[in-house]
Amino acid sequence: MKIIKLKNNSSKAINEAILVLQKGGIIVYPTETCYGLGVDPTNQAAVNKLISYKTFRNDKPISIAVSDKKMAEKYVTLNNTAKNLYKEYLPGPFTIISKSKGKVALGVESNIKTQGVRIPKYGFVTNLLKKFGKPITATSANISYKKTPYSVEDIFANTSQKQKDLIDLIIDAGVLPKNDPSTVIDTTLDDVNVLRQGDIILHHKHKVVTRSEEETRVFGEKLAINLINKKLDKPIIVALQGELGTGKTQLCKGLAKSLGIKQEVVSPTFVICREYIVKNDFNKFFHMDIYKLIEPEELWEVGFKEMLSDRNLIVIEWAEKASKIIKDLGETVFVVWINMYHKSENERIIEYGEY
Amino acid sequence: MKILAIETSCDDTCAAVLDNDRVLSSVVSTQVEFHKKFGGVVPGIARDKHKEFIDPCIEKALKQAKVTMEKIDYIAVTYGPGLAIALEVGLKKAQALSLEYKKKLIPVNHLEGHALSPFLKDKNGKLYSKVKLNFPFISMIISGGHTELVLVSDFGKYELIGQTLDDAAGEAFDKVARLLKLGYPGGPLISKVAETGDRNKYLLPKPMLKSADFNFSFSGVKTACLVALRKIYAEKNINSNEKLILTQNDPGYYDSKDMVFTKKEIADFAASFEKTMVDILVTKLLAATKKYGVKYVSIGGGVCANNYLRKTMREAFSKKGVIVSIPDKRFCTDNAGMIGIVGYYKGLRKEFSKDPSKVERDPILNFKSG
Repeated sequence: MKIIKLKNNSSKAINEAILVLQKGGIIVYPTETCYGLGVDPTNQAAVNKLISYKTFRNDKPISIAVSDKKMAEKYVTLNNTAKNLYKEYLPGPFTIISKSKGKVALGVESNIKTQGVRIPKYGFVTNLLKKFGKPITATSANISYKKTPYSVEDIFANTSQKQKDLIDLIIDAGVLPKNDPSTVIDTTLDDVNVLRQGDIILHHKHKVVTRSEEETRVFGEKLAINLINKKLDKPIIVALQGELGTGKTQLCKGLAKSLGIKQEVVSPTFVICREYIVKNDFNKFFHMDIYKLIEPEELWEVGFKEMLSDRNLIVIEWAEKASKIIKDLGETVFVVWINMYHKSENERIIEYGEY
Repeated sequence: MKILAIETSCDDTCAAVLDNDRVLSSVVSTQVEFHKKFGGVVPGIARDKHKEFIDPCIEKALKQAKVTMEKIDYIAVTYGPGLAIALEVGLKKAQALSLEYKKKLIPVNHLEGHALSPFLKDKNGKLYSKVKLNFPFISMIISGGHTELVLVSDFGKYELIGQTLDDAAGEAFDKVARLLKLGYPGGPLISKVAETGDRNKYLLPKPMLKSADFNFSFSGVKTACLVALRKIYAEKNINSNEKLILTQNDPGYYDSKDMVFTKKEIADFAASFEKTMVDILVTKLLAATKKYGVKYVSIGGGVCANNYLRKTMREAFSKKGVIVSIPDKRFCTDNAGMIGIVGYYKGLRKEFSKDPSKVERDPILNFKSG
């Protein structure tokens, strides 16, 4: 292991670091948050070495540091949310999670194919990345579960000799200011595939305009009565689409009222699903918000199968995220699709139909 | 009395060891992880992470407290409210330990934990919150999943006096962050960017501020934010004063997901929104202290880590002669210390579960209203 003092020595430090990285070695380098561990994230042997140093458990993903947005886009797909964050907040102490393009070694991206990316606001690192022409890993230089390292002494305080031997080069910039670790922001939840017209052909399509929250609730009440009168012997799904603030929760409050539910129907976003017991016409009323699900299959993880029994009414907000699963249920369920749009500050357009 | 406490209601895996009301150790998985919530929002992943962290967390809590499992008297565990499949991990672990070591199990309501967190002491017996609370007091619990006002008249005596009718306070932060394209989780980021913003730049409505009850509606604030942001965006992008909000098929329609804002707009909007939220919370809590004639209040839940809220609360309540207890930040967010202290007081009252294997999770558990 070699230690280079960074002060007045930047270009030498960069050259030595690149030599180590190219050979698949590990460097310890300073950033604006704390000391980081760098290896070439596309080199499997180097990544394996890093994982054995960190004593990572299971499949904890590793972020990468890039010099700029252009370099980032070689490794991840940036959606609108990510692009704006890059523009306004990077370089800086943020790790932005996007969909990975699968160009890194095993163990770097997460098991759901996402990748954390940083653009450190630290001159030395930027110059190093530019010259190296590739990302380096951006994980803190401590062993998993140990304290954040702000000096070389911090790193060594909890490290065994065997682990120290894995490090090839340390770029020592002295004691770093105690800034918090980078803030992690996940942008992948915003990749909602809104159904295009024609994806789902609705029968008996209707369109109404409501002019207040109260009217949206009343629409929900009428819809519930309509569904009760059908006396179906299969589960009913109300698939709701509509951006924030279109009144999805209000509609559900109306539905619940007609079902005789006395409890306050509140947003299910945090717990994904809220369950209510219905006295007469149905057994149970499930109110789901699946915005936070990344893969549609995760619907099964939150107990969807158990919900699909006769005389249950299931309302799914952000149903477009699971449209394929809902479509595949076919004739075993009765589905009403509802699209809600803003018309003006108080007016909402509600389009609905059976699938 | 030595208590091992376990909490897995959301995405933090937590374990703590208490000696009566003194915290000997309190371990939160995210404290020791470099990447906090890397994808941990997805239920399946949250569960997998809990399964991964629960054993090392408990091990570490016992080790730090220098207590072995044999010396533990009771096991306290959160059984609700929270994410069903996350709660299950902690509960099953607690049940298994209770069986293996023949320890009594105390199921704990997560919200009661927040309500009693002002009573937590460090290992030398000093109150973390530095302020001694007397009964009765009102506890305001505000987080990603909760907005509750609870009248606490004694240990174990709670009455729900107000709650949200739609979105939780922290959820409003997350959803407005979503509108501002700040990713997830957006709440902490809103507070961060708000620091440099102009809190009076945008005027937002405060629903239910003057209602006679102590309920909240944050969905209305969120919708007002969307409308305001549409106007800001449209004014930049449409020259004429044509109708701003149309349906998806009309020209000139902006879906909220297509709108992006500048750093300055984001900072000013975040600051104005944060001020609106804090005004609503503080005004309602003040009104509740007046109605119930209490001289003490406390706050708990993740949103209490918000610096602007802490500062505004201190100022507003000291003017009115109400003593406010604001917990140390690490006991605001989810932790097992607060579950342990509920366990301690329940232990004193001998409120154990008769058959630990029969305890079931309750994702929508709450206090009873009066």
